[in-house]
Amino acid sequence: MTIIEMRNLTKKFGDLVAVDHINVSIREGEIFGLLGPNGAGKTTTIHMLATILRPTEGTAIVAGYDIRKDPQKVRKKIGIVFQETTIDRNLTGFENMWVYGRLYGLSGSVLRDKIMELLRYVELEQWKDVPVKKYSGGMIRRLEIARSLLNEPEILFLDEPTLGLDPQTRVHIWDYIKEIKKRENITILLTTHYLEEADMLCERLAIIDHGKIIAMDSPDKLKEMVSGDTIYIKVKKNGMSIRRFISTIENSLGGNPKIVNKFTIMINVPDAPSAIPKIFEIANRTSVSISELKYNRPSLNDVFIKLTGRSLRDEMGSWMNIMRMRMMAKMRRGR
Amino acid sequence: MIKFLDGFIANMYLQVKRFWRARSRVIGSIVQPLFWMIFFGIGFTNSVSFRGTGLVYMDYLIPGVIVMTIFSASFFSGVSVIWDREFGFLKLVLVSPASRKASIFGRLMGDALIALTQGIVISIVAYFIDPNLNYLSVPIILVIALLVAISTSSLGIIIASRLSSMEGFGLIMNLIMMPFIFGSGVFFPIEAMPLWMQIIAIVNPLTYGADAARWLMLGVSTIGIVYDLLVLILISIILVSIAMITFERMAVG
Repeated sequence: MTIIEMRNLTKKFGDLVAVDHINVSIREGEIFGLLGPNGAGKTTTIHMLATILRPTEGTAIVAGYDIRKDPQKVRKKIGIVFQETTIDRNLTGFENMWVYGRLYGLSGSVLRDKIMELLRYVELEQWKDVPVKKYSGGMIRRLEIARSLLNEPEILFLDEPTLGLDPQTRVHIWDYIKEIKKRENITILLTTHYLEEADMLCERLAIIDHGKIIAMDSPDKLKEMVSGDTIYIKVKKNGMSIRRFISTIENSLGGNPKIVNKFTIMINVPDAPSAIPKIFEIANRTSVSISELKYNRPSLNDVFIKLTGRSLRDEMGSWMNIMRMRMMAKMRRGR
Repeated sequence: MIKFLDGFIANMYLQVKRFWRARSRVIGSIVQPLFWMIFFGIGFTNSVSFRGTGLVYMDYLIPGVIVMTIFSASFFSGVSVIWDREFGFLKLVLVSPASRKASIFGRLMGDALIALTQGIVISIVAYFIDPNLNYLSVPIILVIALLVAISTSSLGIIIASRLSSMEGFGLIMNLIMMPFIFGSGVFFPIEAMPLWMQIIAIVNPLTYGADAARWLMLGVSTIGIVYDLLVLILISIILVSIAMITFERMAVG
């Protein structure tokens, strides 16, 4: 069953088309990812679905209600963790959650019990009375995720849930996200520009670039768009037998084998695990001894390169660069 | 199921709690009015006299400065809505089903409580500088200053909603706040102002608050307490209503 349906959803800021007539359907209970570089329109899309930004054109049905006609009803059914933290640093974890719960009409012991249950769940129970300014980045994210579940939403929006976190904490947050989906049977829409995150977490993905959806499928299906795996075979000796080895491989497996350096042969095959036994068999037959063999499966980055001609990794640069860019953006906005 | 009260309580609680946790802000917020009283007050007390009244400048200045403290605090918290909308809690308010009118009214009342606390602190300090005034009337002044606080906060919110980014924040604070403070009768009587400055004074909630405070503490007034109150109630109703409507329509950047 479809729980979010975007219909020509469009947002323009002056001349800039941030989101350009996108049509995406998200099924109930799935983790769906919007993958794309910074400025691709991911956050704008989420803001529109969460009813805090009005579409210029088109609309979306979220949990059964039109975001233009019934924003108030949509709001009751969703939870959201914004990219920028919205936790008040002077308040404790408990207080931050309490204020949020009140906004959703919860109060008294119902609210208190729910807060405690969620704090236990994200392992922040002991920290509940500590002002958030003493929390680490990962703890703040966990608190925000716990808080977004207070109103028992049907849909959870996570805007770059692990941005700015170190790799170890990131993996930890992924575990929470997977667990929440299982536990609450909730639909999760997340945005990310981390390839690993999209790959590890999302059941289906939409790749977004310049406000347009350029591909949509499961990570595995998307990777099939890029033809096959690449196998690297390192041999012990380079001699006459190598010529025979290569030509036999070409005859039986195809894959355009190439010698990339003196001892290494590269070959493209549709499926590496099934080709590797055959390679060893041929090596045996042609008396070539293999010293090392490895293969690469295509990554989502290869998919992005194929679709746009640009690399998502290069564009993002290092994590430090992103933080620097964000700092500059903030300073430009005068913070 | 979500009642008007929920948004109100959540926001008021947040503003008060936030301030309570950062108590150093109380000290910070009274430094400026304190300097006005000490330097400006003492300097002018020794160099000007109100002809034939026996009044000293310090007596004239203090009631106004007490209300001015509340005015500045409220204006600042009103304009800081812009910060909270982009990076803070107001974003959560906008995305929640809670009543936006109730939320912003709760915020206004929370901010007003904080501003009044600052008013009390500066009144106590003022007592040690100039004990000749009627300090027993301070509670009544605070009730009147509540109107100054909510109308000024509302004004700040209305201005903030016109700004699309944080860029204008500092500029707006000084460019709007200073003329309002000087054109209010806090530092010199409205009668001494040229017409253009009197026009600023007429539309300025601080004018009426300061005038009322002077009437209560000193027994001297230009406008009269009844008019002060009526105009303040009117200004408050208008500005709070506009602020509520503005916030209702507010979207995130």
